[in-house]
Amino acid sequence: MKKRVITRRDFLRVAAMTPFAGAFAYGFKIPEKKEAARRAKVVLIRDKNALISFKKPDPSVVQKMLDDSITTLLGEADPINAWKKLVKPSDIVGIKSNVWGPIPTTREVEQALKRRIMDAGVAEDNIGIDDRGVRRNPIFKNATVIINARPARTHHWSGMGGCIKNHIMFVPLPSAYHGDSCADLATLWYKHNLKERTKLNVLLMLNPLFHGIGPHHYSDKYVWEYKGILVSQDPVAVDATGVRILQAKRREYYNEERPLRPPAKHVYLADTRHNLGVSDSDKIELIKLGWNEGILI
Amino acid sequence: MKKTVCVAIFLFHIGLLSLVAYKGAHKEANKTNKRYNIIFYYERTEGARIMEGTAKDEKITLGDLLPQEINGWKAEGKDEIYDPQTIFDYIDGAGEVYRSYNFKQLLARRFTKEGKPDIVADLFDMETSKDAFGVFTHDLEGEEAGIGQGSTYNGGLLSLWKDRFFVSLYSEEETEDTRKALFALGEKVASSIIKEGKKPDIVSLLPSENLTEKSAHYFHNHLILNYHFYVSDENILLLDQQTEAALGIYRENNEKSYLLVVRYPEVNKASMAYKSFMKSYMPDATELGLVQTEDMKWTAAKLQQDFIIIIFNAPSRFFAKGIIEELEERIKKI
Repeated sequence: MKKRVITRRDFLRVAAMTPFAGAFAYGFKIPEKKEAARRAKVVLIRDKNALISFKKPDPSVVQKMLDDSITTLLGEADPINAWKKLVKPSDIVGIKSNVWGPIPTTREVEQALKRRIMDAGVAEDNIGIDDRGVRRNPIFKNATVIINARPARTHHWSGMGGCIKNHIMFVPLPSAYHGDSCADLATLWYKHNLKERTKLNVLLMLNPLFHGIGPHHYSDKYVWEYKGILVSQDPVAVDATGVRILQAKRREYYNEERPLRPPAKHVYLADTRHNLGVSDSDKIELIKLGWNEGILI
Repeated sequence: MKKTVCVAIFLFHIGLLSLVAYKGAHKEANKTNKRYNIIFYYERTEGARIMEGTAKDEKITLGDLLPQEINGWKAEGKDEIYDPQTIFDYIDGAGEVYRSYNFKQLLARRFTKEGKPDIVADLFDMETSKDAFGVFTHDLEGEEAGIGQGSTYNGGLLSLWKDRFFVSLYSEEETEDTRKALFALGEKVASSIIKEGKKPDIVSLLPSENLTEKSAHYFHNHLILNYHFYVSDENILLLDQQTEAALGIYRENNEKSYLLVVRYPEVNKASMAYKSFMKSYMPDATELGLVQTEDMKWTAAKLQQDFIIIIFNAPSRFFAKGIIEELEERIKKI
């Protein structure tokens, strides 16, 4: 079947129908696609004490935020019981981190995740934390479970760096996914059983980057202390929610509509073209916990 | 029988010619790949390798365009050189922007000073001044810095262009000291580049009246067009590395319109692109390539020789037609 061309005018048509039509053209349903009865759950937790200083998370606050959000997500009162729904003692677990210099996942977050994985009965020797070395790391090669944790930021070529994009290091040639502004990034989740093995997605919104400049796509000027964490088992839903927050921040900062450049269409195409998860905010149950000031969505 | 032998001989020669042509092309491709796959690590103390760009009359030592020290920040470690294949090792997907402007080589040098944020200098040889200017226009946000042939400063990033070079000077944190150092470094680099380059002619076609300050972008392909103004997921304007495009943002009564001018290498290609665009974007155009879009704004398109002119989001039919006519007149004069 010939691929349908999506133009700005399609976006305008959808925007005319509903104010929640998404930030750009890819949020709408492709007419020929059968409507699936999929839904997703995302938890957003915020704590005004999440950061000790600029970019430095408070380990105990972060641990509590992760505990509270994951118990809510999985419907368990106790964090360890919640984690036992994700991992079992015999599992080999890879925590897929992100080492990007200006805003990394941070050791505090990595250790908070590792602690609970160990609490759930997984031996420390069977837990690995890695980003760019995952293809060589024996833990990740043999991992039965992957926990995907990274910060949210705008991205020069894909629009947004989020949980979907974080698995790019599992493929030998990441640049092979750059076509059409990384439109089909979701396809990499169908390699190496990543879709099945990834049990939890943690999109850090502690200090996200809402706009990037220059070759390094970074300036402290465009980082704000949102002090939040998004968790979901659906990588698309968690990223789509992250996009909404970044868009809202851009709108607030520039005092006008400033869509992500380029649009983070890979997030929406992960749903509408690749069936990886749910991007439609109407089908995402968003549970908000904690600090409400400046929540933006 | 004789006929069969003749046909066989004919086919043999065709096959031989094809093989020779294929091998020749393959050899060229391999040469290019080899060239792109080499990463040179420059030892500054020994002097950098001489660069031989497309501007064959010039031999410029890329590393020599940068100083060793600026305001107490000293160059640290080896310079790194990246090409269009290896740039992803350095700046990940952002490398696609520079590839979109046909960049040839990038030299990165880090400067350190105890107790101060690092400064990173990225010096791009864009091969032509058009592309140096173009990549500079990719990100125009910030204050005018008054360095080189064009410059901006924003949040710890000083960008400038001169001749065929684009320069990005970046401090990992912004302080008053880093700002002074970046400006001093920018001045040094700009003075090291002797020649000035020519801006692309197509940019001067954009009328200046109502043109938003720092809104004129020059580029080649549809990915960069979509970056500045999303048109379509498919390349419906058939843009490629050979097309030249200028995009300007016009403001009238606080409403933004986008004027796009594209020049194709051949009239025939422009004609094909126009048909492709009209079919996908304006199938309902009623008169002279004009349509009222779903947001009650106007889009108009015009094919003129090897140019396509399009105005998006025009506030009125009158505005759309007026600006298209103005562009037509300007094109006639070149």
